[in-house]
Amino acid sequence: MRNIPLLVALAVFLSSFWVETKEKKAELHPYKLEYPSSFGSRFVIPADNPTTEEGVALGRMLFYEPLLSSTNTVSCASCHEQTKAFSDGRPLSIGVSGKPTRRNSMSLANLLWVKNLFWDGRVSGLENQAIFPMTHPDEMGQSLEVSAKELAKTTRYPSLFRQVFGTSSITGEQITKALAQFERTLISADSPYDRSLKGNYTLTASERRGMELFMRGAAPERGVRGGNCAHCHGGAKLMQEVFHNNGLDSIAVADRGKQEISGDELDNGRFRVATLRNIALTAPYMHDGRFNTLEQVLDHYNEHFHFSPNLSHELRTSHNEPTKQRLGLTSSEKKDIIAFLHTLTDSIFITNPAFSNPFETKK
Amino acid sequence: MIHAFLKLLLSGILVSVIGIQGLFAQTLSVTGEVKTPLSLTSSDFQSLERIEVTAKDRDGKEHRYAGVPLTAILRKAGVTLGGELRGENLSKYIIAKAGDGYEVLFSLAEVDAEFSGRTILVADSVDGAPLPQGVGPFRLVIPDEKRPARWIRELKSIEIRFAK
Ligand code: HEC
Ligand code: HEC
Repeated sequence: MRNIPLLVALAVFLSSFWVETKEKKAELHPYKLEYPSSFGSRFVIPADNPTTEEGVALGRMLFYEPLLSSTNTVSCASCHEQTKAFSDGRPLSIGVSGKPTRRNSMSLANLLWVKNLFWDGRVSGLENQAIFPMTHPDEMGQSLEVSAKELAKTTRYPSLFRQVFGTSSITGEQITKALAQFERTLISADSPYDRSLKGNYTLTASERRGMELFMRGAAPERGVRGGNCAHCHGGAKLMQEVFHNNGLDSIAVADRGKQEISGDELDNGRFRVATLRNIALTAPYMHDGRFNTLEQVLDHYNEHFHFSPNLSHELRTSHNEPTKQRLGLTSSEKKDIIAFLHTLTDSIFITNPAFSNPFETKK
Repeated sequence: MIHAFLKLLLSGILVSVIGIQGLFAQTLSVTGEVKTPLSLTSSDFQSLERIEVTAKDRDGKEHRYAGVPLTAILRKAGVTLGGELRGENLSKYIIAKAGDGYEVLFSLAEVDAEFSGRTILVADSVDGAPLPQGVGPFRLVIPDEKRPARWIRELKSIEIRFAK
């Protein structure tokens, strides 16, 4: 029995492997964010909130969780419905108070690449953004502390939070972190337009003409007609993080946009250039939902915009016809641009089961 | 009738007030890896070294641009140029940002006339007139570039950073 110490040592040695494999099992699985290489990786995910399968799954539940509202009736999804590319179809949104919100709900797609969120860019980072709707009296109207307590009372959440964040109590910060993880996965890159770039879809003649008008600026001296939309709405992601005044009002008084944040008069009526992905699904349009249809939007750019002092230089100077002060596109050219805008509807995105309400029984 | 007229008059006054205040409020900031951060106004520009260049804009026509060489502004802020532009300082870059948030990048070496032999202008006037609203008060002009995509209008800030 001289070998007992050796056996013990061996047992300890082997058991250390066992513990290790068991810990490995409890480890979180990194979530692989998939997107076209052309979108690039100009984004920052906070080091203290890496995206994991488990965190994303929890965030998805929270996104659809009415317990986060003071009435237990409103969730993020109330104003951000998947079938509408995570917008809500109303000019202004309705939350717990029944009083309309100040602005039009925004589509949530490709937020991974957005640094300054909201129409006026007032918040940076999805983690910080979530605090706003959760606590706003007209949106969900409940403090983060109360929300955390509500979730702690359930049978479902405590173990999920423990798994994702490794602590025994639920905090408001963890709620916003999990929501942000889920929102980072809302990537829309599979529209007919995207597929046409890969050669898997052929644009119709009208869609192609619309795309060319969308992408090009007018250069009448060279016989080039264009809508110049891509100057602001362009790039591989069809989104650039810039703020412009697109002439909605002669002076923005009720809602001054970015000026309210920067205090700079030059920012009067400047708003973030919204994404046009899934735009056919996200009516009504603009920060106050003033236009019901894409036809009205095109009429705005072509015929009606105000020459406000801060009107974007690009809009002020884009003319297809020497006699027209604005774009001067024909009605069939406007129709072509609208046909192109419809090719940005990503039906995979709006039906992706990974983004849907996890509490709804599958049909 | 009178009511409508008054409204028109009032909004006219408002528009011009906003326009004028906007122009006066506009400054160009220089920050980051500098000895002295700067916040320059249009009148500061008059007291700096001024030059004029002729260059083709987007419209394909030649224009006379006047203003301050970018290097003069960087030197005033104490950025490492000339003899100091060696070693790790060659991994410095500039982010120039426009009023709408548009950003472009330059390596520090490419903007230094002593290093690259090129002149970049921070213009405040074109063809003898101040830059119009929406373009000025400051605009980058890079005469030797074939595409004017870095000629940013409404230049608001210049930040010097180290590539880390
Ligand atoms: C009552 C309706 C309502 C609810 C509930 C709501 N939102 Fe929103 N959401 C809006 C509106 C309106 C805006 C635009 C507000 C603005 O710009 O001032 C917005 C904007 C956003 C944006 C900014 C998108 C961008 O491109 O900048 C994000 C992200 C967002 N919401 C996420 C959430 C999350 C997460 C929740 C749940 C915690 C939530 N929202 C709940 C109405 C709502
Ligand atoms: C100078 C920059 C600029 C140009 C050029 C431009 N837009 Fe916009 N666009 C904006 C801004 C800024 C907004 C948001 C304005 C707001 O709500 O206050 C916007 C909003 C929109 C919206 C509504 C988005 C939403 O979610 O409600 C549509 C649709 C749109 N633009 C289409 C176009 C089309 C089509 C063209 C070309 C004919 C075009 N835009 C040209 C800056 C621009």
